[in-house]
Amino acid sequence: MPAAPKDRLHGTLDALVLKTLSWGPRHGYAITRWIRETSGERIVVEEGSLYPALYRLERQGLIAAEWGVSELGRKARFYRLTPAGRRQLTAEVEGFRDFVAAVSPILLTS
Amino acid sequence: MSTERRPVQQLHGPIWRASVTDEVRAELDFHVEMLMHELIAAGMTPAAAEAEARRRFGDFSQANAAARRAASHRDRTMRFTEHLAALRQDVVYAGRQLLRAPGFAVVAILTLALGIGANSAIFSVVNAVALKPLAYPQPQRLMFVTSQFPTLGFDEFWVSPPEYFDYRRNTKAFAGLAAYTASAVNLGGGTTPERVNTIYMTANMFDVLGVRPMVGRAFTAEEDLPNAAPVVVLAYELWQRTFGGDPGIVGRSVEIQGRQTRVVGVMPRGFDLHDTHAETWQPLGLDPAAQNRGSHFLYLVGRLAPTATPASANAELAGFLGRWRELAGGAQHVPNDSTHRIQMESLRDEVIGNVRTALWILQGAVGLVLLIACANMANLLLARAESRQKEFAIRSALGAGRGHIVRQFLVEGVVLALLGAVVGLALAYWGLRALLAANPDSIPRAAEIGLDPAVLVFTTLVAVLTGALFGLAPLLHVRERAVASAIREGSTRLTSSLGRNRVRQSLVVGEVALAVMLVVGAGLLLRSFWNLTNVDAGFDRENLVTYGVVLPQATYPEPTRRTQFLGDLLRRLGQIPGVGDVAAMTGLPPSRQVNANDTDFEGLPVGPDQPAQNVDYYQTTTASYFQTMHIPIRQGRGFEPRDVGGPPVVVVNEALAKRFYRDESPIGRRIKPGYGPPDSIPWFTIIGVAADVKQGGLDQPPGTELYLLYDQLPQYVQFAPGQLNVVLRATQPLSSLAPQIRRIMTAMDPSLPIVEMRTMDEVVVESIARQRFLSQLLGIFAAVALLLAAVGTYGILAYMVSERRREIGIRMALGAGRQKVLGLVLRQGLGVAAVGIALGLVGALALSRLAASLLFGVSPVDPLTFSVVAVTIAVVALIACIVPARRATRVDPLVAMRLE
Repeated sequence: MPAAPKDRLHGTLDALVLKTLSWGPRHGYAITRWIRETSGERIVVEEGSLYPALYRLERQGLIAAEWGVSELGRKARFYRLTPAGRRQLTAEVEGFRDFVAAVSPILLTS
Repeated sequence: MSTERRPVQQLHGPIWRASVTDEVRAELDFHVEMLMHELIAAGMTPAAAEAEARRRFGDFSQANAAARRAASHRDRTMRFTEHLAALRQDVVYAGRQLLRAPGFAVVAILTLALGIGANSAIFSVVNAVALKPLAYPQPQRLMFVTSQFPTLGFDEFWVSPPEYFDYRRNTKAFAGLAAYTASAVNLGGGTTPERVNTIYMTANMFDVLGVRPMVGRAFTAEEDLPNAAPVVVLAYELWQRTFGGDPGIVGRSVEIQGRQTRVVGVMPRGFDLHDTHAETWQPLGLDPAAQNRGSHFLYLVGRLAPTATPASANAELAGFLGRWRELAGGAQHVPNDSTHRIQMESLRDEVIGNVRTALWILQGAVGLVLLIACANMANLLLARAESRQKEFAIRSALGAGRGHIVRQFLVEGVVLALLGAVVGLALAYWGLRALLAANPDSIPRAAEIGLDPAVLVFTTLVAVLTGALFGLAPLLHVRERAVASAIREGSTRLTSSLGRNRVRQSLVVGEVALAVMLVVGAGLLLRSFWNLTNVDAGFDRENLVTYGVVLPQATYPEPTRRTQFLGDLLRRLGQIPGVGDVAAMTGLPPSRQVNANDTDFEGLPVGPDQPAQNVDYYQTTTASYFQTMHIPIRQGRGFEPRDVGGPPVVVVNEALAKRFYRDESPIGRRIKPGYGPPDSIPWFTIIGVAADVKQGGLDQPPGTELYLLYDQLPQYVQFAPGQLNVVLRATQPLSSLAPQIRRIMTAMDPSLPIVEMRTMDEVVVESIARQRFLSQLLGIFAAVALLLAAVGTYGILAYMVSERRREIGIRMALGAGRQKVLGLVLRQGLGVAAVGIALGLVGALALSRLAASLLFGVSPVDPLTFSVVAVTIAVVALIACIVPARRATRVDPLVAMRLE
């Protein structure tokens, strides 16, 4: 299956991460795996863009991190959504919905 | 895929987190591991899995780097926010603590404020006057040229026009050399005539200084010739004040000394030369061909040529002095390198002059005050910290990390220091304004003085450092293992820890020593000033009123008209009820400009061993001068009305008689005053010797003085001075006398301004204004220092008493009477003070020599002053010790021993 084009993914990466975390805390690898699986292998978040995004979100206070122990018994950094993050997620989803609603009549009609 | 388990244990990070690099690497490593794990689970070999994982991870190092950067940024931001929040918390807490101990807070803040405020104000003055360069471009290249007559004792004397022209014509070291003389003129034409300071200068003066008029232009060379039409440049302040800032001022005519003078320019605001406070600048109009070599009245200002240095200019001048006659075309009376020298110094040094010593003494004084203030602050903080031992111990036990407590202390100290700085700033600002308002003429360059921000920052930093340092010091004594015992014991111990007490005691010793030094200095200066005020000026200044009058050349051209006017004026003034004797004279004692006129003494030998035939002061007076001023006549007689129209007579003063006639009586000998070529002047006969009157200031010995009779001058020297001081002895106060005098003056000639009407008392007091200013200031600082030292002494003694309550209680229970306890405490307190006083006296002995030039009539090691100061401070220390000592005697032994 063709992978999603990179630039369109960039803008929504933050929203994807926030949404992923809305289902519970995860470490970085688990986030990429979740997105990959849930999108049916169509969206692969490159690790080089994931972690900068995670740190940026953390700096902005939308997600919070703490070190914990993973299922393999290794030390891993777990991220979770903060209340501010939850609000931001709602906004992003709304925005995406509006975007799709606006663009669909143009692009998706023959 | 199973969901990850929630993190089961919180790994506690240490206070100092692992570096960002390590964290990011750990996170990325974990990611790679997970990826490998998945690949292996899908069937790859470990080696292949790792290779694949890394490949899939993209450029590892780049990803790592990018991630690291983002993580750093994140960390910094989060940590910053965290710290700000903690800091705000600390500040609020510190504020609450201070409010809870208002006594401590007020004392600490005021202490600091005094130190900071005083220092800022004084250093602003020192900076503006002594340190900042003058307000001209490249001021370090401006030199001030004067003459010097070593055998006559004249230093920084004037130069004559031909000498100026000789120098200017021949010098290569100066790019420009200008000359000026300061005077005052009548500015008329308005409703009230004004008398303003003026500078007559050569046309190149503004060029030499490097300034241009703000409006209009400076003079041209043509306007600087003798007999050119009069032109003037105005000062900005004069333009605003008297001419309302008239935009059409250039080209307007104003009346100066009775002549219509055209305004050609206005100078920028604040421009001045050598603190003359000149408001008008006019051309000198010197004639380059004139031969008045003996007429010394010019000061020279020169700007060094780009390639010259002060050293090279001095070398060139030395060369000139060796061959001036040649430069002057063979003329007589030229400068040489022995008896008639020309010298130069930088303009700035000249302007600052002899104020420098005084300024540095003041600066030293406030420095001492600041030190004392800091010592007090330190003591206060130490005491406070100790009283909060229990609080710290509890907080520490509850988990506040050492770092947190450290930060708390720092913040408290700094908050206190900043509050002190704010109050200090206000003090400095108002103090500086008060200083300048009270003593406008005592400080050179007063116009340039303002509160210096650099100084404020510096002193605030010093205070903050002190606050931080001594806020932290007590931490040295908070040991973690002593936590438990501290909580148990509370704040009392049988005896206090030796080390801490030593520090506090030495601080107090230091404070007292510094205070002693300051008070000794102030005492010496105050005594000097007192001596000055009691100096016999040579005349009786009670009920004596004086003002100045100027008869300009334009409206009073003939000498006889002047004598007529004066005679008329004095007669009318004498008719005012309550006015007794009236007189007029050219020079106003006790502080006059020296005249230094060459005078011929008949029959006295001339030679290098003989005193030069030159008289320091000529005093032209009306006949009633001596009786008006109550100046005793020692030999012969004073002037009498019959001398008007009689043969030429003069009176000399004692100093002159002693210098030239030694033990012989000068009565009957003859003198020829130097008013012109000797053939045109007759011989004047000495008819009397008057008692000495101070002319060079109260603190200087009187010079030689020659009295001439005003009414005789037109007849014998074809001249009568136009600038005079009128003096009246009156029983009326000045306030009721003044309007009557004004009425008479206006009736006689409304165009004449009345210059500075005041009582002679005021005149004398003003002549020592600078000394008064200095002694007042130092007195204030000494008082402040003493107060601070007293507070410090009280503080430490109160603390020591509270420390030793148990011991005192035990002693009293064992039978020691109250007296014994009182003695015990007092001994301790006074012991500390005594050491401080001893050190201070030694220090004062060493340093007071530096101030010797400022003292009058008192030696720098004056025993009386030193003893009085020692006793005074001992008494102050005693008072400071009494309260805690008495409190000690009221200790109830049972309570004291039961206390915790």
